[in-house]
Amino acid sequence: MAEAATLAAESLAGGKARAARTVLGQVVLPGEELLLPEQEDAEGPGGAGGRPLRLSPGVRSRVRVVCGPGLRRCGDRLLVTKCGRLRHKEPSGGGGGVYWVDSQQKRYVPVKGDHVIGIVTAKSGDIFKVDVGGSEPASLSYLAFEGATKRNRPNVQVGDLIYGQFVVANKDMEPEMVCIDSCGRANGMGVIGQDGLLFKVTLGLIRKLLAPDCEIIQEVGKLYPLEIVFGMNGRIWVKAKTIQQTLILANILEACEHMTTDQRKQIFARLADT
Amino acid sequence: MKETPLSNCERRFLLRAIEEKKRLDGRQTYDYRTIKISFGTDYGCCIVELGKTRVLGQVSCELVSPKLNRATEGILFFNLELSQMAAPAFEPGRQSDLLVKLNRLLERCLRNSKCIDTESLCVVAGEKVWQIRVDLHLLNHDGNIIDAASIAAIVALCHFRRPDVSVQGDEVTLYTPEERDPVPLSIHHMPICVSFAFFQQGTYLLVDPNEREERVMDGLLVIAMNKHREICTIQSSGGIMLLKDQVLRCSKIAGVKVAEITELIQRALENDQKVRKEGGKFGFAESIANQRITAFKMEKAPIDTSNVAEKAEEIIAEAEPPSEVVSNPVLWTPGTAQIGEGIENSWGDLEDSEKEEEEEGGSDEAIILDSIKMDTGVEISNIGSQDAPIVLSDSEEEEMIILEPDKNLKKIRMQTSIAKQEKVPSKKPMKKRKKKRAVN
Amino acid sequence: MEWAMQVDKQIRTETGAEPETGAETGPRGPGCSLRHFACEQNLLSRPDGSASFLQGDTSVLAGVYGPAEVKVSKEIFNKATLEVLLRPKIGLPGVAEKSREWLIRNTCEAVVLGALHPRTSITVVLQVISDAGSLLACCLNAACMALVDAGVPMRALFCGVTCALDADGNLVLDPTAKQEKEARAVLTFALDSVEQKLLMSTTKGLYSNAELQQCLAAAQATSQHIFRFYRESLQRRYSKT
Repeated sequence: MAEAATLAAESLAGGKARAARTVLGQVVLPGEELLLPEQEDAEGPGGAGGRPLRLSPGVRSRVRVVCGPGLRRCGDRLLVTKCGRLRHKEPSGGGGGVYWVDSQQKRYVPVKGDHVIGIVTAKSGDIFKVDVGGSEPASLSYLAFEGATKRNRPNVQVGDLIYGQFVVANKDMEPEMVCIDSCGRANGMGVIGQDGLLFKVTLGLIRKLLAPDCEIIQEVGKLYPLEIVFGMNGRIWVKAKTIQQTLILANILEACEHMTTDQRKQIFARLADT
Repeated sequence: MKETPLSNCERRFLLRAIEEKKRLDGRQTYDYRTIKISFGTDYGCCIVELGKTRVLGQVSCELVSPKLNRATEGILFFNLELSQMAAPAFEPGRQSDLLVKLNRLLERCLRNSKCIDTESLCVVAGEKVWQIRVDLHLLNHDGNIIDAASIAAIVALCHFRRPDVSVQGDEVTLYTPEERDPVPLSIHHMPICVSFAFFQQGTYLLVDPNEREERVMDGLLVIAMNKHREICTIQSSGGIMLLKDQVLRCSKIAGVKVAEITELIQRALENDQKVRKEGGKFGFAESIANQRITAFKMEKAPIDTSNVAEKAEEIIAEAEPPSEVVSNPVLWTPGTAQIGEGIENSWGDLEDSEKEEEEEGGSDEAIILDSIKMDTGVEISNIGSQDAPIVLSDSEEEEMIILEPDKNLKKIRMQTSIAKQEKVPSKKPMKKRKKKRAVN
Repeated sequence: MEWAMQVDKQIRTETGAEPETGAETGPRGPGCSLRHFACEQNLLSRPDGSASFLQGDTSVLAGVYGPAEVKVSKEIFNKATLEVLLRPKIGLPGVAEKSREWLIRNTCEAVVLGALHPRTSITVVLQVISDAGSLLACCLNAACMALVDAGVPMRALFCGVTCALDADGNLVLDPTAKQEKEARAVLTFALDSVEQKLLMSTTKGLYSNAELQQCLAAAQATSQHIFRFYRESLQRRYSKT
């Protein structure tokens, strides 16, 4: 362990970039540089420094790699900008796939295509202002609901919860939400019912819960019948039959953040008994 | 920054839960959240955690002249700060209504209840008395600030020790902690605030409301009481109408809660005293839970500095020696004089500043560079080795005045070191170029 | 050789000194050691990121909000508005706090990638919990850990190191309040984690060119330890994910 720590400190210090492949699943820190697979093959670890970057495709095949959250391109390497575990997704087609850093931050930054839960804060003319937890409220047109027309306006009040999707989200523009998909269907989006409880968790937990094979959700589903909505902005809305059950579910989901799988299994088993 | 709005569904859920006697965190109606008290290494310093609400308290003292109408009484001063750290909506330096209300309530709870013997704070009647200042900082706001703040204030006051003084004739002697043990304040009783939140026009009641409960409550009743069940202050806000019975019931509950909290405080104080007496470890470092994965500790770490001298020598050897030193005072223009290393004074010399901009490769960065230099300039000048204009550096605006000579001095050194090395355009903003070069 | 002698002398003076208050009872070994460090992250529920950093008895709590909404008057069209607030424990912030805020702000500005979040604000609030020497360095360390906790994009980590030079020219790292008071010069540096280059420096007192370089070299050596401490505490923090 001590050796590993020394090594890590050295790599942090000497500016010696580690290969992205070898640190997958490990904790990376801002400022670290990562080598992409093709570079380490061509230049060997550590030998990357002095050689000029060869761009001609004849010498080395260029692979398209996508930099996810927490990573930036820095020359021909990846620069880590957030702390967390490095993740990689194999591409479905060709290319180098997607690399990103799985961090546990709380603050949401709007991303195009994300499904989020917003709170309507104002109605102004044809648009609603929706708080999504980002740096500025998102706008939502009253026409962006299923079946809405100029005469048939959706019934949305200030303070209502909206489940929608970002169609415009970039750093320079006001984010814009819609509650319909590209075919004009609600597809589950729209105003969320008046009952149920809204609470906040970290963005990392939401991503974990929304992963395709998430055990937690399956286990929770076995516990009580429930309705649940996850927003990528860290908000969860949950509704069960009774207030008591809703409260239990909310508390369990909040606690999942800091529980190991075993701890969680124990708690679920105990709840199932009662 | 704005507070996240409360949605209609949360409001409705909270109220329905309260009707069913359920609370978000699983508490019962009359339950307090867990209270944790930890002490700092200084006397009179404590952090009180009430659930997720956190308050830092620090007591300090000072010898001042007394108020004219109370010549034999010490002065008590309370100041609660709501810093932005506690919640995004708290703006720095603004006296919000909430802040004024809380401060006033604290004063009524602690000063007007005469819990501290102010006469014992008198040193020389009419001339010197102790002013005891209680600073309270809200670190995290999760509801019920006043209870947490009143606990922090009284704990800090109980924990505090003031320096001992003696009066012989006209002479007042102040003893350092080494000469004489500091003395505790004499505290008559410990008033503690207990908050009751009312919902649905007073139909439902909750003790120690958290932030979300506070947002949906109709009214708030705060009762300050000591363990002898004496009410020190009582305040109802929010404009709800309470029946006599309700207030009486609340005061009964408050009595029970205050007894529990007082017990907890006394145990915490005794524990801290015991540890201090036995020479054990104390302070905030000890109150960090080791098993928490968000916490990490490192023991004292020796640093190998055996080679710093050589390293430094190398660097200095590499750098070109500074060019000749002018030891005579030089008068550049009327009103400016210079002595020592700084040659080639270029006050008002445009060429130089242009050159620097080129080096920096961007005016944006140059600004940063300047401002930092300015700051070091102040520090250096404070020890006052150089010349007259430096005296002005206390005021912020006038820092600019000292910037020039000092900057110039640096620039020359910089040029000497830069001259040797190639000018590589760097991606990062180069701050303190001189030193950066030097360490290469 | 000369250095070895100096160190010798230092050990003697150190052991002879009065033990510091609080948890730091007992002699503190040679001057070239760090006090015990502790750090807790994510301890406040309201800010987006928070950290408390302890160096011996010095303790600073930091909270970070961002990227959050920004006042129109402070909005910058192509980058985030970085603000640092430093709150003293007693009384209201004065000139000394303002000057430190400025130093910390500039250090953060150098590493935070503000261009990724234009027209937003990144606010760092620092609260002094106790000051027992090397306060500015502790503020810098707390700010860095809180920024990491908040997930603010950064090009590198940074740390603060304070060195003191006593009357005999001996170097003391991470000095206590008493050592700072007795010192001839106190130098504080902020260093980045990628190249160990200087991001900020502020000094007080008289020192020679050689001494400055020595302090800087020592600070660089120290920064390795601090970054290792950062890494280990962050690895621990992410051990359950």
